Parts: sequence; C-alpha cells; structure tokens
Amino acid sequence: MRSACAIVGLGVTAQGIGLGIGSRELRAQAVELALTDAGLEPEAIDGYIHTYIDREDLRYQGLAPNFSVSMMTGGATPVFSIITAVGAVLSGQAEMVACVYGQAQSARESLGGQKIGAYSYGYPSLYGLIGAAATHALHAQRHMHLYGTTSKHLGAVAVTQRRYASVRPEAIGYGKPITLEDHQASPMIADPFRRLDCTRDTDGGCAVLITTAERAKRLRANPVYILGAGTGHNIANWHKGTVFENHDNIAPAKARAFGQAGMTLEDIHMTQLYDPFTISPLMQLEAYGFVPEGQGGPFYADGGAGPDGPMPTNTGGGQLSAFYTTGFTGIIEAVLQLRRQAGAGQLKRADTALISGHGMNAGVQNTWAHATLILGNNQ
Amino acid sequence: MSAPSEMQAHTLSIIRSVGGDPLDLPFWNACREGRFLVHRCGICGRSYWPASRCIEHRAQSMSWVDASGRGTLYTYTVMHHAYTPAMKGKTPYVVGVVKLEEGPFFHSSIVDCAPDAVTIGMSLEMAMRDHESGLRMPVFRPRGTPID
Repeated sequence: MRSACAIVGLGVTAQGIGLGIGSRELRAQAVELALTDAGLEPEAIDGYIHTYIDREDLRYQGLAPNFSVSMMTGGATPVFSIITAVGAVLSGQAEMVACVYGQAQSARESLGGQKIGAYSYGYPSLYGLIGAAATHALHAQRHMHLYGTTSKHLGAVAVTQRRYASVRPEAIGYGKPITLEDHQASPMIADPFRRLDCTRDTDGGCAVLITTAERAKRLRANPVYILGAGTGHNIANWHKGTVFENHDNIAPAKARAFGQAGMTLEDIHMTQLYDPFTISPLMQLEAYGFVPEGQGGPFYADGGAGPDGPMPTNTGGGQLSAFYTTGFTGIIEAVLQLRRQAGAGQLKRADTALISGHGMNAGVQNTWAHATLILGNNQ
Repeated sequence: MSAPSEMQAHTLSIIRSVGGDPLDLPFWNACREGRFLVHRCGICGRSYWPASRCIEHRAQSMSWVDASGRGTLYTYTVMHHAYTPAMKGKTPYVVGVVKLEEGPFFHSSIVDCAPDAVTIGMSLEMAMRDHESGLRMPVFRPRGTPID
C-alpha cells in the first residue's frame, strides 16, 4: 500500500472573499492549473471525483473520464477523495484521477442561500444551537472543564496560525499578524469562541491529480507519495457516551494510516489538521498522541506548534488564517511544504506530513467523519 | 389549531423543517401532555434519544416510556452572535447538553439561570414551555429553583 500512488498535480486558484468567480469556473481553473503542474493534457483525466455535489462539471470543462463521482462526508471529503482515487487506480478503473473542489462560498447569501457559519442541524436548532461554532463550542467547553484549558490557550492557536499566514502572500492573513490581546478583545461568538477563534468562508478552488508511483516518476512535478491513509467515525464514541470528549474518532484512522506507512509519530515532520475553530487542532494533536491528553493548551502557549516547535502545525495559516478550501487547505500546504515551494514559510524538516479531514455535522453532535492522510516526498 | 390531528401535523412539519426525524414524533406529541419520554430497549433497559435501534438487541423491544426529566449539565455554549434574524434580541442565551438520569444526552435550552452562573455538572430538571414554532418543548432549569 505504501507509496503505490502519488499526487502528481496540484492546482490552486485565487483564494479570497468576494472573488466574483462562480463555483464551477473555480473548479475548471483548478483542474487546468493541476494539469499544467503535471504537464498533462485534459485527455489524461480518466476519473473525476467531485468533493460535494455537481452534475455539470464534465460538460463545462470538456473532460471525458470514464467515471465521475460526487462525494460527501463533510470536511473529511477531500482526504477521502484521495483514498478513493487510490482505490480506483489500484483496482484498474482509472490511471489519472482528479479530486476537485471549488466553491464561491461568499456568494451564498447573495444567491439566497445560507452562510456556512449559520448551518443548523436537527432538533437542537429549535433551541438556537445554530452554526458550526456552537457545536464545536460544546467540545471546547468540555475540554476546558476537564483539563483547565483557557480562552488564552485557544488564543495561542489563533496567534500561532496567523503568524504562519502573515508571511504567505496567498493567505487572507498575509501581512496581518495578531496578538493575544487582539484575540482577547475580539467579540464573543459562541462561548468560548471569539471571532478570532473562528474560520470564515472564502472562495476558491483546488484540484489534485492521483496516479501510480511508477507513472508519477515520468511526469513533470516531483511526486508527493501517499504513504498511508485511514478513517474513523465518531459514531463509535456516540454509542459509548464519550462523543463530547472526542472531537473525532482518531484511533482507527491513525492505526490504519501509520500501519500502511510503516511509520510512527516520530517520523512525522509536520501536521496539517482540519481547523474550523481553534479547539480543533489542539484536540487533534492530543488525540493523535503528539501531545499528552489535556495538554494541548499549554503546548500551543509554549510555541509547540510553531515553526521551531516539536510539531509545526497548520504551517500555511490553516483555515483560520489562510483560506477555507475545506479539507484541501491542509492538503495544499502539505504538498507545497514537501515540494519546498512554501516560500517564506518553508520548514527546514519537510519530508513527511500528516493531514486530517473532519466534518459532517449532525443534529445530535458536532461532527462524525475523520480521515488521516500521510504524505511524503520519499517513496 | 386545536384539533389534536392538526397539532400533530404541525409538529411533524416543524420537525421535518429542521431535518429532524419523524420517528421522534411520539416524543414531541407527548410533550403536549407534559410528558418527557425516552426510547427504551425492553430487554436490557438501555435508554436512547433520539429514536434508535438498541446497539445490542436491535428493534426487538424498543418503546417510548416516561423518563424522570432529571439530569446534569454535560457541556454547553452561550450564544452571543445572532446568525439568523430569529436569534436577534435573544442573545446571550444558553444551549446545553443534558446527561439524562436514564443515560442519553438531550440538547436543550438552559433557563432560569444567568449565563455566567451555568456550570458543567449542575443538577437540572425539565420544564415544558411553549416554543415560538408552536411546539411544546422541554427546557431545563437548575433543580429545585422556585417556579415564579
């Protein structure tokens, strides 16, 4: 399984608020950029995975693959699309699969839709539990109660990620570092989350191309190998009554991914963790075992997730401070780091990366799906 | 809207409108009679909310039964930002997850308690209140609080 397949093309469109580019066009631009990156023509794509739902992309883009699949498992969809692409390649159904995302999120309201932040889920919405901030806040409050995590600890996550973003021209937070005081002064949204604890919607597209490691070596870009992957579903913790202590069900995802890669935590140079809210990377670092249980807050306050810390995390600024391409935000940053294309944010040790996806909110709890991806630039 | 069948149709439409499950209708209909139910497995006695199959005995012996209406606060948030027009003028308010004495979690409003006095672990009891949707819905308040 390890390194059977590789990412051979990465396409990232402009990212920002109010770009004025429609979702389908963003996806088309992302695919074209990925093809250019790989040195391939559109005919090369023989499998297409749309992360979320669409029926018209292939016609609009002039593509002619043998299959097109719409996939939806919340913010875990991008990692899961790569897992599925590997499956399609290894089962002989495709040779070059495009995994594609593109959403003009900031146009939702003007088109009569709901902002992502105001999504509501099931009967709890009748009590005013509206939006992903509220559902993630239930995890954050429980973590604060159990371990003494504070608002300033959450602020350390926001400050750390903004510092990373501040040197990356493609990030929303470019040139705009924040202080802990800025965080503490930002208005409360859903206690304990302040505005600077929350990711905002942005417009943008991303596409990655997956093929066999053998073919990858003959293409233009340096291959980024898929070393391992795994999934876990939080329904297991719901049945045990421990779902609010568990932001995700990471144990099975971690075991499978590291087992396939033949690696341990010590082999990971960086993590890119799904981060709609500041509590998210903090709790995931604990659940993966990079940080002892309950110590995520002090770890961030001590700079542990910074560029010189023991585990650099969300090194492009993440969703919080770079841009929101759902689970592709972490995949993009990992590929750039592994290819030594991260500019002023380039890490010195950058041969392996762990990326997570997380999402699929539901009525009775925060989120269900989790997916782990381990990438590396050595086969 | 006085006939019971009309009220039940309205309840169904509200539950559907928020993506809720029509299988939970016996629960919501009982709220109109002031009863707070849980879905219980008659074989092992495990209680569930919302409607579920038993993780061990599947659908063999599931039924809606009266519950105590008591529990403790497991976690919560205080909503400060009005994401929707309906939220304006209500913030700040508390939404909590109650760990019912019978075992399941129940999301609800925490009332009759200032937001900064809410603490995880506090003892709570259910009270039925009219909701703006037309439903009658259980809310939770600190146990033993005098009723105004």
